[in-house]
Amino acid sequence: MISVRNLRKSFNGREVLKDVSFDVWPGEMLALIGPSGCGKSTTLKLITGLLEPDDGEIVLNSKEIGLVFQGSALLNSLTVRENLALALRERKLPKREQDRIIMEDLTLVGLADYVDSFPTQLSGGQQKRTSFARAIVNDPKIVLYDEPTTGLDPVMSTIIEDYMIELENQLHAAGIVVTHQFSTWTRTAHRAILMHDGVIVWEGKPDDAMRSSNPYIVQFAKATKDGPMLTGTI
Amino acid sequence: MQAAQAKKIVASPFLLFEDWMTVGVGLCGQVGIVIAKTFYYILRMQIDWQESLRQAYFIGVKSFLVVGITSLFTGLAMSLQIVMQLVQFGGESAIGGVVSLALIRQIGPITAAIIVAGRVGSSIAAELTTMNISEQIDALKVMRIDPVKFLVVPRFIGAMAMMPVLSIYSMAIGLLAGMIIAQVVADVSFGVFLDSVKSTIIDQDFYVHFLKSAINAAIVIFYSCAIGLNTRGGAEDVGHAVTRAVVWSMTVMFIVNYVVTDLTYEGPR
Repeated sequence: MISVRNLRKSFNGREVLKDVSFDVWPGEMLALIGPSGCGKSTTLKLITGLLEPDDGEIVLNSKEIGLVFQGSALLNSLTVRENLALALRERKLPKREQDRIIMEDLTLVGLADYVDSFPTQLSGGQQKRTSFARAIVNDPKIVLYDEPTTGLDPVMSTIIEDYMIELENQLHAAGIVVTHQFSTWTRTAHRAILMHDGVIVWEGKPDDAMRSSNPYIVQFAKATKDGPMLTGTI
Repeated sequence: MQAAQAKKIVASPFLLFEDWMTVGVGLCGQVGIVIAKTFYYILRMQIDWQESLRQAYFIGVKSFLVVGITSLFTGLAMSLQIVMQLVQFGGESAIGGVVSLALIRQIGPITAAIIVAGRVGSSIAAELTTMNISEQIDALKVMRIDPVKFLVVPRFIGAMAMMPVLSIYSMAIGLLAGMIIAQVVADVSFGVFLDSVKSTIIDQDFYVHFLKSAINAAIVIFYSCAIGLNTRGGAEDVGHAVTRAVVWSMTVMFIVNYVVTDLTYEGPR
């Protein structure tokens, strides 16, 4: 479970998060959606401990966190096998057991044949899938996705979304996906939170987004210029 | 950013100096943290020996050719200057001693260190900054792996193992250059040259040589790593990080080189 209470964070005097609170339950996938700069990725970095909050509290029921980075973030000097082994090294498993887990996870994402390839030899979609395999190698109870389908073609986005749904079913973990891709949050999440200017402006089921009368989610879901979120003209 | 800096120079050089000092103090803090963590892991023997060996190969073996070439020509130029001066005063027999003393105490360690700062320090700063920008460092932290343990310790071990070897190699090449110049310019035989070396050089000179080599290696690695680990942004920042790593490493190295020379100088021979 992930419990976030009254989270605040500022950078150079600019308040990026203003009193954000939410919970994510085991087996639930929460989508954090919103325009660029609204504080989604900052929230994710605070949950992983990469940033310290100025105020507020984050309670996690497990230290084992899997994070899928936007740009995959695989170590280029290591092979796919070594990248996954790195995530396992805290557990100090025998080599044979380590190899078994790595092959099992790579088979799950369809990359067993690429175990000894370097990240630079893989396509963007393959790198993303390797990043998935690395995130789940320790059977985490919390899985976080930072814009997992950004920059991918529609077919690969659908494949990645399918992996997310399958992993969710297998791991029964508490998950958060940060995205602004419509198909990603409507297909993979049980619940969505829309953020704007550091605050939560809408919360509900993805199916309810189109029917809502909230002007923020209406503008975001319909991707229109008219609404309270963006001002100014080109 | 450069335009803003140019404006600042015109407005007040003191403001620029203040900026430089602020950056310097911040960097010293970052270097201090990297040093403390590195020794923490080394003292607990948490060392990836395989990666350290790979780094030793990259830092040492791959620098041999360029260190050899620069040492040869530095040795030739320096020896030519010394030989021509000593010949005027009839001091041919002292050529070997003066050349070897300069090489072992100053030129050998500093030449190898300059090459390592330029070749290895710049590469480390670029690699670590790129890793930072592409979130690879964040990925390590999420996996609960300290970037200092994973990235800095092996580079430090590799550099400490190879820098003294490179310094000795640099000194040997410089000495060879000195012998050739002494023979060609002043007709001093190899035997006379080496006799002069033997009568001038004492054990203390070798200790100073190794001390300087080790300190130079540490400066290059710690400054390059600290700058790389703490730089974020984009492609332009990779370039800035490389420049800062080389400039700071060399500046600190020359200052420390003087301090060590002063502290270990035991009077005229």
